[in-house]
Amino acid sequence: MPPLVTLDTQIEDLVLKYPKSVGFLTRKGIRCIRCGEPLWCTLGELLEEDKVEDPQTLIDDLNEFLKEQD
Amino acid sequence: MEEILEKLDIWGEQSGAGNGSWLKCSGEILKSISPIDGKEIGRVRCASKEDYEKVVLSAMEAFREWRMVPAPKRGEIVRQMGNALRDYKEDLGALVTLEMGKILVEGEGEVQEMIDMADFAVGQSRMLYGLTMHSERPKHRMYEQWHPLGPIGVITSFNFPVAVWAWNAMIALVAGDTVIWKPSSKVPLTAIATMKIAWRVLKENGLPEGILNVLIGNREEVGETLIRDTRVPLISATGSVPMGRHVGRVVAARMGKTLLELGGNNAIIVTEDADLDMAVRTILFGAVGTAGQRCTSTRRIIMHKSIGSELTQRITKAYQQVKIGNPIEEGTLMGPLVTRGAVEDMLAALEKAKEQGGEVIYGGNPLAGLGEQFVEPTIVKMPGQTEIVHIETFAPILYLMEYEDLEEAIRMHNEVPQGLSSAVFTTNLLKAERFLSHEGSDCGIANVNIGTSGAEIGGAFGGEKETGGGRESGSDAWKGYMRRQTNTINWSKELPLAQGIKFGD
Repeated sequence: MPPLVTLDTQIEDLVLKYPKSVGFLTRKGIRCIRCGEPLWCTLGELLEEDKVEDPQTLIDDLNEFLKEQD
Repeated sequence: MEEILEKLDIWGEQSGAGNGSWLKCSGEILKSISPIDGKEIGRVRCASKEDYEKVVLSAMEAFREWRMVPAPKRGEIVRQMGNALRDYKEDLGALVTLEMGKILVEGEGEVQEMIDMADFAVGQSRMLYGLTMHSERPKHRMYEQWHPLGPIGVITSFNFPVAVWAWNAMIALVAGDTVIWKPSSKVPLTAIATMKIAWRVLKENGLPEGILNVLIGNREEVGETLIRDTRVPLISATGSVPMGRHVGRVVAARMGKTLLELGGNNAIIVTEDADLDMAVRTILFGAVGTAGQRCTSTRRIIMHKSIGSELTQRITKAYQQVKIGNPIEEGTLMGPLVTRGAVEDMLAALEKAKEQGGEVIYGGNPLAGLGEQFVEPTIVKMPGQTEIVHIETFAPILYLMEYEDLEEAIRMHNEVPQGLSSAVFTTNLLKAERFLSHEGSDCGIANVNIGTSGAEIGGAFGGEKETGGGRESGSDAWKGYMRRQTNTINWSKELPLAQGIKFGD
């Protein structure tokens, strides 16, 4: 099964389809909603801006988390 | 709900692009979902890049005609728009509530704000003043005049679906600009309904299509295309700091103008001599109103340690009286948050606050019984201004902190990166004046004995630091929508040069 989210996933889509991911990321210090609106970038761009050292591992963890939520 | 949609002529699938009439759009379907019950209100076919192009060409064409209409005549059109909005105040206000979730009186208040802006702009249309200067050269006259800019882009956020558009559009219209509006994807129907009302006025006056335009679509197709478009000289954007930073970078790279109204982290300082009755009522409205989803929502209370305990008790008691529920029902004071993501963001922020020593004094929980997007308004006592307090969480979280002297209070107040709105509650004139002075609040808005939210349209709205520096609405904000031209007229038969320079004489 392909991953639910990837580095290329737009934050707009992430927030709409997987709202639980907002809490998951915020707890890790990554905020994808500001002023109630999703950021204008991809998940990869956001992780790069937040200087996340291993973005792919974080994406893998997020996918795992989202599957558990299902 | 059906009745409201029919009255506003937004029943059935709507087009997401229009310039006075609606384009047959080719983008994706956007569902408008009510945060109240998660039910679909309507659908919009989004604009594509091709639709965008048609709209911008129309806005450019219309600009050539609209700019030649005398400004007071443009004001007369805006006056008629204000009247048309009066006719739809109740229905449009209810739609704001259904689509965004703010309580009905706030929804209607938002439409009133559009009407107020129209009234303000009518007067402004006769006051687009330039200065005259005394020339240093004999028989010369110098003056400046203000000319329209062109088609301007207005990007608005979900929390004020129509008022912020009106802050920009009503002023831009009297300035002679045409307007291309990208509303938030969460509130597309409110934007469409507003456009339909305004377009009727333009049509009744025989004006061309393209003066007021709307584009509903995602960031890639519409947002990015708009901000990168060199044909759009000004982008006015309301939203988050990262969004504003991105818009600012992109527009600056093409030498365009921006008007940014971004996040706030607004505090009220409550001094030991404050009228606590007034302070509590104000804090309640500021922190809980619009479910804490205003740019100007009160997020921090910096209170003198001698009144900290009493004020905390009184605020908590006031919170206990807040009726949370369906925002369309009378008596409700707080509705839902805009998305489930916003709920997650709030809960995660509360976890962080607790990790950083915060104590939840009231609330802190989702209210699943009311719906997925309802939460308790929350009060958190913080040991100091920790990392989470520096962050704007767009939710009804109120952080309480104590101070010992006003110096410390002002330092704490100004310590956050945002600089939108601020207030002090005090009965001491010296403290009030100090707060308003240049060693006091560093915000764009600073008040005494009134709260941080609920600004009037007559003043310039906006803030400093990460809030972006833009000013909208009243005062001389109109200048941002025009270009200044300095003119020198020689009515002599000589050609004197400035600075006394002799060249080839």
